[in-house]
Amino acid sequence: MNSAIELLAPRYDIAWYPWAVQYFFLIALSYASLWLAAPALVFGRQRWLPTARLALLACLTTTLVAPVALLADLHQPLRFWHFYAYANSHSWMSVGSLVLPLYLVGVIVLAWLAWRPALQAHRQAPGLGGFVARWLSLGNAPTPRALLVLVGLGTLALSTGIMLYTGAEVAIVKARPLWNTVWLPPMFVATGFIAATGLILVLNRVSGLHDMATNRQMLKVMLGACLVAGLVAGSWFLDGINANVGSVAAAMESVRGSAEWRSTALWGGLTGVVLFGAVLFLLTRPAARRPALYAWAWLLGLVALHVGWMFRWVVLMDVQTVARHSAGFHHYGIPAGSSGVLGIVGTFGLWLAAVLVVDLLIPWRQARQGGSAADLSCAHSAHAQRAAETTEGALRHG
Amino acid sequence: MDPIRRTLLGQLARLSAGAAMVPLSSIASAGINQQPPRREGDPSKRYGMLIDLRQCIGCQACTVSCHIENAAPLGSFRTTVSQYEVEHQESGEVATFMLPRLCNHCENPPCVPVCPVEATFQRQDGIVVVDSDRCVGCAYCVNACPYDARFINERTQTADKCTFCAHRLEAGLLPACVESCVGGARIIGDMRDPESQISRMISEHRDALMVLQPEKNTLPQVFYLGMDERFVTRPDAEPVALEVLDPHGQEMGYEFRH
Repeated sequence: MNSAIELLAPRYDIAWYPWAVQYFFLIALSYASLWLAAPALVFGRQRWLPTARLALLACLTTTLVAPVALLADLHQPLRFWHFYAYANSHSWMSVGSLVLPLYLVGVIVLAWLAWRPALQAHRQAPGLGGFVARWLSLGNAPTPRALLVLVGLGTLALSTGIMLYTGAEVAIVKARPLWNTVWLPPMFVATGFIAATGLILVLNRVSGLHDMATNRQMLKVMLGACLVAGLVAGSWFLDGINANVGSVAAAMESVRGSAEWRSTALWGGLTGVVLFGAVLFLLTRPAARRPALYAWAWLLGLVALHVGWMFRWVVLMDVQTVARHSAGFHHYGIPAGSSGVLGIVGTFGLWLAAVLVVDLLIPWRQARQGGSAADLSCAHSAHAQRAAETTEGALRHG
Repeated sequence: MDPIRRTLLGQLARLSAGAAMVPLSSIASAGINQQPPRREGDPSKRYGMLIDLRQCIGCQACTVSCHIENAAPLGSFRTTVSQYEVEHQESGEVATFMLPRLCNHCENPPCVPVCPVEATFQRQDGIVVVDSDRCVGCAYCVNACPYDARFINERTQTADKCTFCAHRLEAGLLPACVESCVGGARIIGDMRDPESQISRMISEHRDALMVLQPEKNTLPQVFYLGMDERFVTRPDAEPVALEVLDPHGQEMGYEFRH
């Protein structure tokens, strides 16, 4: 029972808008899908090639759209050049402003290298596709595999910079105990992988690829990411209730007694457990039943995307409504305009447009680990043969 | 929770991957996020404020005069006085507690190192200011301040905050809030000058002074005299002003539960 009543205190508005959620969500999808494209593109694992094709599509499109959302969250977006004119090495955000463009260039170059043989093969195609292929393929010379690996490794290194800075940027803010924990950066990464595997499951269906191996690979990664996320969330919770870590204890104290926060925690926990259980169920089915069951894996993909996005919404938006030096919680209603609903829908719309443009103009389904256009035709038959072997193998071993 | 279970859970927490994260945390808190060098201002001075709560009557003259002096947009405040109704736990007597709040011009200001363009900086006299021509409006500083002292000015679309009325101090005037305080509760001055009123009051009341959220290690330079320690951190109070929203989610007014 409180013995004090707050009679008068200003209402403090939130300072980061839903644009921030969109940025954190898209950039997490971006770095996680880059790592899902890496086994085939960078490390040469043939069995991961169909996954890599979808992952590269996801990675490039989210990487292109994420910085737009980030710029929009600035109240003075036209001053973005100040980041470079007055860079401040003391600020994580400034560090990020240096890593992000390098990462963006890395992803674009990597995608171009992986798509180039297919672009070369499409130079004679009629219409806009052929024009773009002629223009983008830049000559007939083969794409050296070593170059693709080199760019891939560099971009992977930069992506860890993105993971580190996006996490650290939020986790160092002592003013908000719910952010100020070492558990936040790994949780961003884990939920990022959950969402990215979900996105690839969805893309695997809507693109019509319906690749069984991709579904199984993504479910396995998702299972691992769910486990890590559960471990991180559990450790944070234990840190808090044991008061091992002051900031975590303060964080839990700050939302204790709030019905909304209790239901948020319950929803998050339940969704995570249900997702984990469903993925485990699918992965342990006998091989004969897999095709029928995996056809529905995209539904789990949607749940996974929900987990990734909602985690960022709760962390970035809801935490800002927890009062810092006054009582209770501040009201936040999502405005209809560009700093609210329109911004959220607009970012996703822009992403969808990016996917459609790539799908329209780029033969992304034939992305390769380097090589030349001539490899493509023989690869087709080899790939078909390999796919047949894989299916047989799965049946035999199952 | 019983102590045995507590210990068990504690062991679990330590066992679970925690050790792996320790290097990460030290990177995040050291190196990056250190205070950049101070610039501008008079290095021979260190401004601070002492608020004698025994003199504050909660008239909000400071709030109003600050608003007029600094032309803050409606609803945003560089300084304000939070007011609480406090019930004595034994006698049941009711009293009002006033908490004037403003930027603490911390010795270790968390809002400064986060700024990606060094638009917000600490002057050598300790005053934390914002260069609104350079500010990109990323609002990182607004989130980094534990005292709600910063806001995005909706007119300039840049970060805005109390400057101790630096423009008035330079002209030999007192800040608007100090000038207008009817009880003389706000005392500003140079803490490096042992003869200043603030220096004398700090040495006289050293043991009774409190600062807000000392556990955040921000080293605030706004000192409260006559402070109730329950209000040093986020007050455990019942928020009474409830927004009344229309069907479109727009705010119509306030409602009081009591």
